[in-house]
Amino acid sequence: MPSIDKNNDRATNEFNQYVKPVSLWADAWKRLRRNKMAVLGMWIVAIYMVVTFGAALLPFKSYTEQEMLHINLPPSFKPAGVVALGRLEERKVELEAAITRSGRADLKQDLTRIENEIIQLKGEVDTDPKHKRVYILGTDYLGRDMLARTIYGGQISIMIGLIGTLTAAMIGIVLGSLGGYLGGWVDNLIGRFVDLMYSLPYMLVVIIIMSMLPTGSNSIFVLYIAIAMISWLTISRVVRGQIISLKNSEFVEAARSMGAGSGRIIFRHLLPNSLGIIIIYSTLQFPSFIMNESFLSFLGLGVSAPRASWGTLVSEGVQGMQLYPWRLLVPAVSMTVFLFAMNFLGDGLRDALDPQSKNRN
Amino acid sequence: MTDDVILQVKDLKAYFKLDEGLLKAVDGVSFDLRKGETLGIVGESGSGKSVTNLAIMRLIPSPPGHIAGGEVVFMGDDILKMSDDGIRKIRGNKISMIFQDPMTCLNPFLKISTQMIETIVLHQGLDKKAAKEKAVDMLKLAGIPAPEKRIDQYPHQFSGGMRQRVMIAMALSCEPEILIADEPTTALDVTIQAQILELINELSERLGTAVILITHSLGVVAGMCDSICVMYAGRIVERGTADEIFSDPRHPYTQGLIKSVPRLDKVSTQRLYSIPGQPPNVINLPDCCPFFPRCERAMDVCKTKYPKVAELGDKRTVACWLYGEGK
Amino acid sequence: MSRFIVRRFLSVIPTLFIIVTLSFFLIRLAPGGPFSGEKKLPPEIMANIMRKYHMDEPLVKQYFRYMGDVLQFDLGPSYRYKDQTVNDLIGNAFPVSVMLGTMALGTALLLGTIVGITSALKQNKWQDYAAMSVAVLGISVPAFVVGPILMLIFALKLKWLPTSGWLSSRAGALTLIMPIITLMMPYFAYIARMSRGSLIEVMRSDYVRTARAKGLKESVVIRKHVLKGAMLPIVTYLGPAFSGIITGSVVVEQIFVIPGIGRIFVQSALNRDYTVIMGDVIVYSIILIAANFVVDILYGLLDPRISYK
Repeated sequence: MPSIDKNNDRATNEFNQYVKPVSLWADAWKRLRRNKMAVLGMWIVAIYMVVTFGAALLPFKSYTEQEMLHINLPPSFKPAGVVALGRLEERKVELEAAITRSGRADLKQDLTRIENEIIQLKGEVDTDPKHKRVYILGTDYLGRDMLARTIYGGQISIMIGLIGTLTAAMIGIVLGSLGGYLGGWVDNLIGRFVDLMYSLPYMLVVIIIMSMLPTGSNSIFVLYIAIAMISWLTISRVVRGQIISLKNSEFVEAARSMGAGSGRIIFRHLLPNSLGIIIIYSTLQFPSFIMNESFLSFLGLGVSAPRASWGTLVSEGVQGMQLYPWRLLVPAVSMTVFLFAMNFLGDGLRDALDPQSKNRN
Repeated sequence: MTDDVILQVKDLKAYFKLDEGLLKAVDGVSFDLRKGETLGIVGESGSGKSVTNLAIMRLIPSPPGHIAGGEVVFMGDDILKMSDDGIRKIRGNKISMIFQDPMTCLNPFLKISTQMIETIVLHQGLDKKAAKEKAVDMLKLAGIPAPEKRIDQYPHQFSGGMRQRVMIAMALSCEPEILIADEPTTALDVTIQAQILELINELSERLGTAVILITHSLGVVAGMCDSICVMYAGRIVERGTADEIFSDPRHPYTQGLIKSVPRLDKVSTQRLYSIPGQPPNVINLPDCCPFFPRCERAMDVCKTKYPKVAELGDKRTVACWLYGEGK
Repeated sequence: MSRFIVRRFLSVIPTLFIIVTLSFFLIRLAPGGPFSGEKKLPPEIMANIMRKYHMDEPLVKQYFRYMGDVLQFDLGPSYRYKDQTVNDLIGNAFPVSVMLGTMALGTALLLGTIVGITSALKQNKWQDYAAMSVAVLGISVPAFVVGPILMLIFALKLKWLPTSGWLSSRAGALTLIMPIITLMMPYFAYIARMSRGSLIEVMRSDYVRTARAKGLKESVVIRKHVLKGAMLPIVTYLGPAFSGIITGSVVVEQIFVIPGIGRIFVQSALNRDYTVIMGDVIVYSIILIAANFVVDILYGLLDPRISYK
């Protein structure tokens, strides 16, 4: 009956203009773009990435160069020499007042020192280019530029986050899909192990591992491993669950009935269909890696000098926060903004890729 | 005749604002329900039959949905204009509903007794003890064995068919004027479906309750309903008594539906008929007959304008250009 | 039910055993010891110390000795604090940490559910957006940032609260405020988001539609039909939350100088005070296991669909 066939064609054509077929990813992208906070998050993350990893190409100051005359300078748009001089003169006035009030002779030494510094600085301020520098975010206790240090700290923190996330995702995917696909004793063994790891207070395990390291070893590398080693648990559980539910679905049955082998089924059918959820969990885990790393660095068990991460910077900042609050606030705020953006991006991705998610919270 | 009409739905419209556009789930539906009558509303999934009935109860999830117009006159009052308190006095009391999936429609965390008693206490002002007795009676009527014991159990301890019986008992416990049954048998085993339909039929007759039976299966309405509305893409395309619809279907869609029901009385070697194509996505639908892409008798006018509803006699209407002014 | 509890209780024993064994060997394998950091000791004194702590014995023998002691609830002497046993150290610190942890979790639970429920009921209104932005902030800002910033503002600048200490006589309960806020922030935020999401999901569920169709008032629908189902996921979250609070308290105790087990843990990790680390790990594991245990039982009591057979 050709007329019916023709009608059939028309049925798909007539209303096609209203129901455009879109791929899952294009659809997800559309949903993500509509989520303003997620888009904002994406931009912030992108800017951080460009700035931290392009830092070498951008006109930033050295993060290691120390300048004794520039110690603990507050954030300012004026040249460093002017700021430092202003502060010394303030200090001089204070000291003089204190001396006339108490008549303490020991303060005289300080006064002479300051007067000498003022003379030295006045001599240099117009000639030495280093006093022309502008520290818009201030300097730290060794006279290093806070902006450069924060960018460098971000580089390390973000790197640890990235490598940790990738490693954890790899381990999680391999073990999760093995357990989920093979089932039986393999699944049991992995499951038991995951359960055991879950019942450990896991940051404490990292602390133990970090404390065991001989001092001076390459702590960043060990930190990557230590954090990744225990962070694959959730991903592996999620992947396992996803694989199990997909394993028995019709399309996998169909592939199997056409003679596809296990490897092909896992890599061509199961994993691509689990990709969304893997991306979601990885994005949400990324900030927690950074937090964990900084947490350890804060306790003095993570990245050690001369290297610095956001956590190290915050912990350095805490030391003098009453007098020099910018030393705490600059790295703390930079880090928080990044984590905030990452979390919004992660939430947005989850809503976009998994709109029916039962895991939203 | 008109005085025993208890529910009058006039030009009811329920729209959903979605990201993709405006979804006119129900777009100008009108029908009457008489006392004690059983009305079947038939249509494919997505045709708006469930939304019509949620709109009658004002239970459309909002946002994204809202009632965009029309009247629902129940015993002289327009439900759509009532206060929230007013509509709550009707829900579960004068008009009650049972839903498609009995597995998810009972609260899994509360005992059957709690769920039944709260309705009876609320609407009938009985104390808890009397309400419980009433609930047990209703369960017995609904064919639950040992209702005194089972009433203190949780929903998960019941089978699907038994849960639907509980739902029916709960819905009828205040002896409502109207029972809206939204695909009450779709989620059940075939053997149980007939029992549940029989139960609805029997209890509604006994209590004098009118029934609106929503279903996608003509087979279900055939045995049970006095009159039938056929819905397509948010509108009623044909309306009439069960006899008229089955013996003399007018709309090509109804004709197609009836042709596609397997029949035992005619031995046939032909393949079972099926309507070609898919039901349309009703988002941003243009002004046209939404059925024309699938219609074997489509004409040019069908593509440009929605057909006028042709009155073919008492309560018999059809919305198709083949009838009335178009011809 | 009681059989479930007994069985569940017995299943804890191998887990604990594995944890203790693993951490024992892990720590012993580490290079350097508790006495290697100080200035070089004469070999005979070193040998004396080693003998005193049985560190000259073969590893396996040390292990069995340690296990035997642990079974008698003796966690051994501290290598660093010469006069104190691990039992003393942890015994003094344990109540402090438990108090801090439970108060933080309790506050997080209370505030989190209140904010979550409000947010769900005002869905997509400004209250919702405000609450959820605060929640993301709470999740994003680490404790070691919140703590110092709170301290900077409220203790150092405004001088409303004491900077540190624990229930010391003069400041009293005021010392608790900042540590509790710092510790509870992420869990409060998470619980708020979770309860909001779960509440919204349940409000859309079929059985809540049934409840509305029965003519119940919206407030009754929420109270009787929504809340219980919506709060169940929160109960499952309490296990992980408790474990997170324990870890978090390590940092908070450090910042606010609170004499709890977290502080001891970090000190001993920095000092390689093995017996103390081990003791701490054991105590932490027991707390965690006990928390999960309680959560399981609680869940079973709340959800009638779960039966312990």
